[in-house]
Amino acid sequence: MATQTAIRPESNQTLEQKIQRVRELYATGPAIGKSALETLLREMKSGTSRREPATRMSSAGRIGSTQGKVSELLLIAPFAPGGAERLRALLELRNGDFSDTDRVGTVHDMRFLFLDNDTKLLFATAYDGDWDPYIDDFATKIPDGLDVLFSVCDGWPGIRSPAIKDWIVKHQIPAVGWYVAYPDLTVRDILRLKRVGKAVDEFLDQIS
Amino acid sequence: MTDLTSKPSSVPALETSDIQATVLRPRPKPYLGEYLLLRIGDAEQGREMLRRMIPHVAPADGWWAPSLPGWLGIAFTFEGLKALGVPQASLDSFPIEFRQGMAARAAILHDFGANAPANWESPFGTPDVHVALAIYAQNEPNLRRVLELAHQARHDLPQISVVYRMQFGELPEGRNPFGFKDGLHNPDVEGSGPASEAAVKAGEFLLGYPDEKGETATVPVPLELRRNGSFVAIRKFHMDVAGFRRYLRAQASSPADEELIAAKMVGRWRSGAPLVLAPERDDPQLGSDPERNNAFSYADDMQGLKCPFSAHIRRINPRDALKDEVVAVNLHYFLRRGTNYGPPLPAGVLEDDGAERGGVFLLIGAHLQRQFEFVQSQWATDGNFISHGTEQDPLIGNNEGEGVFTIPKKPARRRLHGVPRFVTVRGGEYCFMPGLRALRWLAALDSSST
Repeated sequence: MATQTAIRPESNQTLEQKIQRVRELYATGPAIGKSALETLLREMKSGTSRREPATRMSSAGRIGSTQGKVSELLLIAPFAPGGAERLRALLELRNGDFSDTDRVGTVHDMRFLFLDNDTKLLFATAYDGDWDPYIDDFATKIPDGLDVLFSVCDGWPGIRSPAIKDWIVKHQIPAVGWYVAYPDLTVRDILRLKRVGKAVDEFLDQIS
Repeated sequence: MTDLTSKPSSVPALETSDIQATVLRPRPKPYLGEYLLLRIGDAEQGREMLRRMIPHVAPADGWWAPSLPGWLGIAFTFEGLKALGVPQASLDSFPIEFRQGMAARAAILHDFGANAPANWESPFGTPDVHVALAIYAQNEPNLRRVLELAHQARHDLPQISVVYRMQFGELPEGRNPFGFKDGLHNPDVEGSGPASEAAVKAGEFLLGYPDEKGETATVPVPLELRRNGSFVAIRKFHMDVAGFRRYLRAQASSPADEELIAAKMVGRWRSGAPLVLAPERDDPQLGSDPERNNAFSYADDMQGLKCPFSAHIRRINPRDALKDEVVAVNLHYFLRRGTNYGPPLPAGVLEDDGAERGGVFLLIGAHLQRQFEFVQSQWATDGNFISHGTEQDPLIGNNEGEGVFTIPKKPARRRLHGVPRFVTVRGGEYCFMPGLRALRWLAALDSSST
C-alpha cells in the first residue's frame, strides 16, 4: 500500500485552515473528543494510517454522492396514514428476503428504518451508477416491486408517474460523509470476481 | 394510403404527409448529399428563409415507393429556435437535454479526450449552429437541383449564413469505411409500413402518438409545434481505418483470424451476415439477403459464443439478449440514418493517408435522454450491463489505447488488449426536426407578439 501523505501540497493552505477550524470547534466540545482529534491529526500528518483515496466523493445525478462507481441514495419521507403498519407487516413477511432485487443487478444494499414514532420512513441504499437513466426501465419491468414498498409513503406518485424523479429528489438527503471500501467494484463486478475466484480455487485444488 | 386504413384500429395512422421524410425514410440507394449548418442572425430573415424552404422539405408520405430524386430535411437546435423568435414559454417546455445541447452533455455521453467538444470541428457545439439541413439525392445533378433550391431560399438574406457544409456519399458496395455493409437494421415504426409484430410504437420516434409506455408527449408546447416532430442527435465521426487494420493485423494469427476478430467486434461479417447465423465464416449470400440478414435473435447464444456480448451490434441493439435483466429494451430504440463521407482507403493499406473519412449519423427519436443518451452512456461506453466492467464498445467506444475486448470462447475466453479509439467524434448537435405544419407555424411566428 502506498503511504502517501494525505496532505496534498496544492491544498496546504486550505487544509491548514480546515484543521484550525476543526480544532477550534472541538475545543468547545468534550475533552475526550478534543484529545481524540489530536490523535487523528497526528496520524493524518505522519501518513501512517492514510493513503491518497482512490476516489473522492462526487455528485450522483441531481443529488446524492458517488465514490467511483458506487452511489448513495438516502431519503426520508412521511408515511401515509397506515403506511408504517403496512410496510412493517410486509417487511416481516419478507423476513429479510429481497432476492427479487438480485434481478436489478446494481443494488449493493437497502435498509428501511422507521423514524419518529412510525411517522417517517428512512430508506438508504448503495447502488451502481445513476438511477436516473434506469427509472423508466424499473417502471416497466419491476413497477410492483417498487410501488408495494413506497406506496406506504405520503404522496408517492407511483413509479410509472412522470413526477417520480421529482418526488425522489424532493425527499433525498445527500450524505455529508460516506465510506466505500470498494469504490471501483459494481455488484456485477463482485459477482464476477466471486465466480472467477471459485474457478481459480478449483484449478489450484486440481493441480496441487 | 390504403394500406394504412386496413390496419387494426388500435394503431393510429401516421400523418405521413406531415412527417419529414428524413425521419421515416431510408436513404436512397445509391446516395449522395450534403449537410449544411446555418446561422440565423435575424429572426425575420430566418422565418423568410423557412417560408421559402418549406415547399421543398420532403414529407414522408409515399416513402415506401423510393422514387424521389432527392429531398431536403430540416432541423433546429435550441439556439436556432431561439433565433427564430420562438416564444419563451415554448422554449422552456423543451426537455433539459435539448435545451443544454449535445456539447453540454459530454460527461453523460462519455465525450472525453479526443472526443471532447473542445476538440470538435468548428462550429459544432457552439451557439452559432442554428439550422441543420440534410440533403439527399441519388445522383449529382439531382443533388445540385436540391442544393440550388436551398440556396435560392437564402441568397438575398444577408443575416442567414452557412457556417458549415460537408458532402457525403456511398462507398463501393454500400460498405462503411471499415469495409462492413451497414445500415442493415432499423426499428419498425408502427403504422409506417407493413404490419409487423416487432413494430415499435410510433410515439417512440414521433411526438403526438402513444409511445411504448402508453404515453403521448405533452411537451414541447404548443401542440402545433410538437405534433409529428422528432429529436435528432447528429454525430459526425472520423474513422481510423488504417488503425483498425493495423490492430487486426497485430492481434490476429492469420488473415482468416483477422476477419474473425473484425466480425466479433462488429457482430456481423463484412457482407452483413450476422455472427449468430454464420458463426464460423462469412456467408455473403446471407449478408446480401434482406429477408434473412436481420432474422435472428440471441436466444441460442446467451453465452456469447457466437456473437460476443461486447460486439457492436449486440450492444447497440441487444434484441432479446437482455431479456432476463431489468431493462426494457423497447424504451431504448432510435432510428439511425447513417451516411458515409470521404474516400475509401484502398484495400491492404495499413498506413493512414491523412484523408478525412467516416460517417455522419442522424439518431432520431422522441426521447433523447432514454434513447440516444442511454445507449451511448450505458451500452456503448460501459460494460457493466453485460458484467464486463468498464469494457466499451470495441468499435465506437471511447477507448484510449487501453481498451479491452472480450470474446467468449470454450474452454477459456479470448481477450484482446490495447484497443485504440477507432472512431473519433468530430462534432455533434441535438436538433428538433418538426413536422411540416410545425415548420409553417415557426415561419408564421411574429416577434412583436412574443
